Amino acid sequence: MAPKLPPHHPVEQSTASAAGGQASAHHAPPRGLLRWLLTTNHKEIGSLYLIFSLIMFFIGGIFALVVRAELFQPGLQLVNPEFFNQMTTMHGLIMVFAAVMPAFTGLANWMIPLQIGAPDMALPRLNNFSFWLLPVAFLLLLSTLLMPGGGPNFGWTFYAPLSTTYAPPSTTFFILSLHIAGISSILGAINIVATILNMRAPGMRMMDMPLFVWTWLITAFLLIAVMPVLAGVITMMLMDINFGTSFFNAAGGGDPVLFQHLFWFFGHPEVYIMILPAFGIVSAIIPTFARKRLFGYASMVYATASIAILSFLVWAHHMFVVGLPLVAELFFMYTTMLIAVPTGVKVFNWITTLFRGSITFEPPMLFALAFVVLFTIGGFSGLMLAIAPADFQYHDTYFVVAHFHYVLVPGAVFAIMAGVYYWLPKWTGHYPNVKLAQWHFWLSVIGVNLTFFPMHFSGLAGMPRRIPDYALQFADFNLVSSLGAFMFGASQLVFVAVVILCVRGGEKAPAKAWEGAEDLEWSVPSPAPLHTFETPPTFQRHEH
Amino acid sequence: MRTLLVWMAGSLGLALGVPLAMANGWNMPVGVTDVSREIHSLHMTIFWICVIIGVVVFGVMFYSLFRFRRSKGAKSAHFHENTTVEVIWTAVPLLILVGMAVPATATLKKMYDASDAELDVMIIGQQWRWRYEYLGEDVAFTSNLGTPRDQIRGAEARGEHYLLEVDEPLVLPINRKVRFLMTSDDVIHSWWVPELAVKQDTIPGFVNENWVRINEPGIYRGQCAELCGMDHGFMPVVVHAMEEEDFDAWLAERKEAAEQEAMGVDREWELAELMERGEGVYGSICASCHQAEGQGSPPAFPALAGNQRLIDDLEWHLDTVINGVSGTAMPAFRSTLNPVEIAAVVTWTRNAWGNDTGEAVQPADVAERLAQ
Amino acid sequence: MWSVVKSVLAAFFGVQREERRREDFEKGRPGAFILVGIVMALLLVGVVALVAIQAAR
Repeated sequence: MAPKLPPHHPVEQSTASAAGGQASAHHAPPRGLLRWLLTTNHKEIGSLYLIFSLIMFFIGGIFALVVRAELFQPGLQLVNPEFFNQMTTMHGLIMVFAAVMPAFTGLANWMIPLQIGAPDMALPRLNNFSFWLLPVAFLLLLSTLLMPGGGPNFGWTFYAPLSTTYAPPSTTFFILSLHIAGISSILGAINIVATILNMRAPGMRMMDMPLFVWTWLITAFLLIAVMPVLAGVITMMLMDINFGTSFFNAAGGGDPVLFQHLFWFFGHPEVYIMILPAFGIVSAIIPTFARKRLFGYASMVYATASIAILSFLVWAHHMFVVGLPLVAELFFMYTTMLIAVPTGVKVFNWITTLFRGSITFEPPMLFALAFVVLFTIGGFSGLMLAIAPADFQYHDTYFVVAHFHYVLVPGAVFAIMAGVYYWLPKWTGHYPNVKLAQWHFWLSVIGVNLTFFPMHFSGLAGMPRRIPDYALQFADFNLVSSLGAFMFGASQLVFVAVVILCVRGGEKAPAKAWEGAEDLEWSVPSPAPLHTFETPPTFQRHEH
Repeated sequence: MRTLLVWMAGSLGLALGVPLAMANGWNMPVGVTDVSREIHSLHMTIFWICVIIGVVVFGVMFYSLFRFRRSKGAKSAHFHENTTVEVIWTAVPLLILVGMAVPATATLKKMYDASDAELDVMIIGQQWRWRYEYLGEDVAFTSNLGTPRDQIRGAEARGEHYLLEVDEPLVLPINRKVRFLMTSDDVIHSWWVPELAVKQDTIPGFVNENWVRINEPGIYRGQCAELCGMDHGFMPVVVHAMEEEDFDAWLAERKEAAEQEAMGVDREWELAELMERGEGVYGSICASCHQAEGQGSPPAFPALAGNQRLIDDLEWHLDTVINGVSGTAMPAFRSTLNPVEIAAVVTWTRNAWGNDTGEAVQPADVAERLAQ
Repeated sequence: MWSVVKSVLAAFFGVQREERRREDFEKGRPGAFILVGIVMALLLVGVVALVAIQAAR
């Protein structure tokens, strides 16, 4: 995803200092590593985020492949159960906090200023700080694997007391690394809110913003609201482990269920943090390649806001079997079912946008269409999981694993890839290689379905999640899943090849790289120079 | 175009529906209780609702993708809003969901009504086994993984019920309402038997409630469903549902055996007798952490073979087994094992694998210690 | 005030006529919409909770 650095041509100075104030008053940047360490440029920081998340995507992917290799056959062949648990845990933590979230932040850094006609992010130094916290946090997290007693082994949801009284000694480091990552997210979110609210091009009202900007604005508010809750709950863990408190220790009068309430009050909005920006990306791509305006722009904005509000009211649907009172079960079942309505509206809007369009199938469109289909399948299994009585059977089985991987892999991850293919011409000045991109797409789609579709069956048939070995009736499903996982993993190497080739050369892209594209980013040259919109553009809105 | 649409809808329905509808072992089991049947029917209803919505939505989508390709000369239209359509597609899903919520609420209320039970069973999760106590009947036992470790390692052929077999199943009567009271001694576990549609977390410091009334005798298998540490994958649940009279006979027999055992505490036990009993207890309770040959897996699980402190200090050894070591994975076996079992397993570990102390720990001494 | 409530309700449902929406964005004060939005969100929680309590009887 590294863009070729734009040449250092002297930047045209606008006489009046532009909307970004100091943004244009720069001096020659330092060279080499120091330049990347000290950069305050939103494009460079965006690239750093994206490269970081790609590396983490592969590390998290390797952990997943260890898990899938062990589950290839019944019996314990490759790893022992302790290490298996560390792999499932680390896979989840890395993918959520170090791959998907930074990838969206990277896209936000690159594209939000370009889409709203701002010269940079509102708080460029803070931006640099938010990024460089991440490598620190995740090196620390990964280093726990080498500590005595091993790394975190209690699942990415780290339920107490398994993660407190019964946790390995490295847990304190795990807490510290999550704290650092959390600070990074909060600062990044504040920056995005400040940018969107203050730095839009003159004439661009809120309801004129591209949906990627809207969805990120709402996501940023979610982040600011829930990351402190995560920080609180891990601090309580820290106290329980090191300072003798008993927040979650029943023997000391504490409450293990409290942990789950707090965790999921963070955790459910977190799920939407990982999908709302994906909605924004897909809402940009589908109209472009259908050559037709997005159907129901306003209802898309409303639906995003509704999903965000409802995401605070559904957390206990992750806890249907912990023994909640009947009233609570009913309340959370109803609110969870309600979420299906705005989510459905989004899918209907995308499909109606396709209807009577003029459709072509460039690589970003392929990924966006696969997103719509496969995310919807994940939505269906979500609807099934919302039915509380049935959830007593689904809960903590591979059915749940299938559900959230459908939402996150062909959901969030495909949307990120769609976004990368969509904006690569803007970043590098070259189109990605179409043949290779198509190979990447088809291998990924087949791999992802081979991996995750059989998990619906193994879950319904009774296979619990997070087990290193399983009964013989689940063997066939697991074999297929493992083959699919390796296929999906290998096909991501094609993705890396496409990106590297695209950075180094390829068919030249004009400023407006896609015929049907309309947002402001397509008005600056491709590749986008290091500094753009130093003079605010005049914004032309659609007339109805 | 129309034929293509029909073909696609049909194949989608086929691809999703047929395996689920016909196959055994691909779908949620119907189960053997009234509640499990209701849950299964809710599951199938919501599944078919999803399939129908999916066929319509994906049908329109793929129709658009084929029909409105630019390569076929499609020109894009300009509409981008339609209040009527938007109201319809917001309201219709809302109505479907209300329709789904009504039966779901009814089933949930039934599941929550554990009143008028004829038998109470306490289910206690422990790393990594289940303990069952028949309340008011003085019958209690622990249920451990029955699959030999050699099968897991692949040194031996795997049996039919690999990982789903235990040394002693929970025995229940059919046609009687049985209430489960569920808790845990250490971390959170989750007791799950798919055929009974009971899945409930067992949480330290909490007592959860659930119930079954089984309609058919049989053996029903399940597993711990909540990640509970190293051997989470190795703590199966097996329920043996019996005809009512068989169950009563079984319970009476177990009561008598328990009385026998209680009397055995007072007599003098031979070393060989204790060793034989102790080897069994060690294999089912201790070996998962301290390993079959007592070699442990340090640092979390110390070795017992050649452990000098253990050999030298009987007091400490007994105290560790009875009270556990707080802050580590070593649980207290005070309430899990009876005095005979504690004496036997301590004797075994003091004499096996070259520990050779020659000491026989008497159940009576253990009982006295437990009473303090 | 009533028109604000109606607009917020429409937003909750997710559908609003384009002219109305324009009018709201041009003439309405954001503060009023935010306040009514928060109150309505709390009301929604209350209504769902009431339904749940009734259903649990």
